[in-house]
Amino acid sequence: MIKQSPERSFKNFLILPSVIVLLCFLFVFFYGVYLSFTDLKLGKPTINFVGLKNYIYLWKNPLFWKSTKLTIYFTLVAVFVQALLGILLAKLFSTNVFFAKIFRPIILLPLVLPPMSVALMWTTMMNPERGVLNYFLGLFGIEPFMWISQYSTAMLSVIFIDVWTYTPFFTLIIYAGLLGVNQEMKEAAQEAGAGAWITFWKIELPFMMPYVLIAAVFRIIESFNQFDIFIGTTGGGPAKATTVYSIYAYIQSFQNLNFGRGTAILFVNWWLVLIGALITIKLYQIARNRVS
Amino acid sequence: MKKIKIFFSAILFSLISTIALADFDWKKYAGEKIVFAYDIHPYVDALVEKLPEFEALTGIKVDAQIFPDDVYWNKLNLEITTDSGAWDVAGTGVQPTWDTSVGNHNVDLSKFLNDPSMTSPDYDYNDIYPSLRSAMTWDIKGEEVVGNGNGVWGLPHSFENMNLMYRNDILGKHNIKPPKTLPELTATCKKLKQVEPGITPMALRGVNFWSSVHTAPASIAKSYGVVDYVMKDGKIADTGLDSKASIKFHKDYVAMVKECAAKSWPNDNWYQVVDALTSGNAAMAVDANMFGFWNNIKDPDGKNPSGKISFAPPPTAPGAKNFESNIWIWCITMPSASKKQGPAWYFMQWATSKKMVLDGAMMGKMVNPIRKSTWDSADWKKYANQPEFNNYYDTFMEVQDRAELFFTPRYGFGEAMNAWSVAMQEMVNGRPVEETLKELAGSIRAGI
Repeated sequence: MIKQSPERSFKNFLILPSVIVLLCFLFVFFYGVYLSFTDLKLGKPTINFVGLKNYIYLWKNPLFWKSTKLTIYFTLVAVFVQALLGILLAKLFSTNVFFAKIFRPIILLPLVLPPMSVALMWTTMMNPERGVLNYFLGLFGIEPFMWISQYSTAMLSVIFIDVWTYTPFFTLIIYAGLLGVNQEMKEAAQEAGAGAWITFWKIELPFMMPYVLIAAVFRIIESFNQFDIFIGTTGGGPAKATTVYSIYAYIQSFQNLNFGRGTAILFVNWWLVLIGALITIKLYQIARNRVS
Repeated sequence: MKKIKIFFSAILFSLISTIALADFDWKKYAGEKIVFAYDIHPYVDALVEKLPEFEALTGIKVDAQIFPDDVYWNKLNLEITTDSGAWDVAGTGVQPTWDTSVGNHNVDLSKFLNDPSMTSPDYDYNDIYPSLRSAMTWDIKGEEVVGNGNGVWGLPHSFENMNLMYRNDILGKHNIKPPKTLPELTATCKKLKQVEPGITPMALRGVNFWSSVHTAPASIAKSYGVVDYVMKDGKIADTGLDSKASIKFHKDYVAMVKECAAKSWPNDNWYQVVDALTSGNAAMAVDANMFGFWNNIKDPDGKNPSGKISFAPPPTAPGAKNFESNIWIWCITMPSASKKQGPAWYFMQWATSKKMVLDGAMMGKMVNPIRKSTWDSADWKKYANQPEFNNYYDTFMEVQDRAELFFTPRYGFGEAMNAWSVAMQEMVNGRPVEETLKELAGSIRAGI
């Protein structure tokens, strides 16, 4: 039998609280997974283990597949646009242009607003008849736009809101990365006759990419789980146009009281988040190795 | 001999009555404390204002926990279904109580109502409108809700019936009469668009939640002969949402929404409807009548469109004999997990007593009052017939005879009715009515 020194035992004792906290987290997660294999309905007195029944129901349900497409579409488009705008704004902020100085502190404002407030604010502004957005469009002779009130435009409108809210997050991270670009390399390239575009494309962008991708990991996780902006604007409508997983699970759990089915949707969502995050982390490692 | 029998019977009756009267004591639970939860609402404002009277009468302290609407309903579901025991009395509606009563999470109040030692002799349960009592009465068989039973799962506290409300200043200006049928309503909207292009003809709920079908659609659909469920031998056998009557109704209703509603209709809920009609951005609404009443009240700031909202019965199917009006009942229920059921019941009977209902109505808050005696009282008649309320009182009396709950009692009510509201959005978005209703009915049948 191996006897531990008192010092080692004391160290083990010190990490015990962390282990307990970790176990609590894992318990909640696995309890949620267990619920997805039951017919738990709020109010009903009995809970039965139903195996894969909830998953089979989802597999056969067209709304589940529609929701899958919407969730992936929302995440990919929103994160891509945010990354693109984030790079442009970060590049702008790294210059000494007058607007850059003004907007550098202001750009962070959307990030500090509670997402539900953001949703309610945009819902009011996007009212097709009395919203301020259509008023401004009207000044330029543009016909009123339906924004979140029409099937064909609702998802794009929510993506627009998400982009407005979270582009500053990308900007902040990428700007920090941009500050770390080796100035000597840039100067050497310029002396060798490289123009601004070549310098950006060949030197700055590769340096920025790890930062873009690390920000993307966080945003992919959050976008798959985005709930507040959807519930505060469209609630999944009109006519299922924005019923992403989080909304679908909420409707099943809290409106239809079917917690078993709701947790099954969230468990599928968890897999999507995991796959999305792992792919992005792999890309991050490749980008980082290139820079190294 | 007969006279002697009558004499002794009378003595016996008076003795029993005396014993019963003597048994009920408002101070029985003095010193106890209960927790009462409710949504932010004028109905609860009236109760909270009068709480000192209750505390003086009974010696029971009440901790009133009032929550914002957007968190209350989820919290209510979780508190009651998890038997937390944190609340002794909870404000809710009939439909949510169907879901929570099946697992015995709510107390069947008939045991208190039938116990003279627990219920004040002047409570007079039968004074509450029959349609409200009947809506709160059902039995639990297995894990199902069966209507028209003996169990009393809540006490009505205040209620709404659906009316056509209209801005008399706008309709009057163009000499437009309030429409009586659904096609007439659509035609009225068309006319209003021509003469008042700056406003929305009709404020209408359209969100993908059952709250948007329980107002105008449920009331008007019933006059077309639409039922949510078809009953056979006292059991739900089928849904009626893809019947011929339903197809006819939905075609007319979708046409009306396209002509009348705001472009933001899929996102419009109660708040938007109230705001549109009271601000004059909309000319009509088929919704809960009490918001028309509240906004007719004269306020010192002059913010209310006092006197400008008039009332009419909901529109009907063309050629229908009668109009129909759905109701939404705010009720108070007792979670089974409450450890203070006695004091909780005392609070519930006080909150729905003749005195409180009349006081609440006279404060202009507990409207519509649930008791017939309130509507018959000279004080309330005088108050509700003030000029600023227009024809509120008379319309209520006319509508109330035909006002009842449209929906069939059922666990899982929300799932099917939410699906109906989503189907409505799809039809307005252009999906064929027959195809949409067939799919809707198929999904509901799968759950029966």
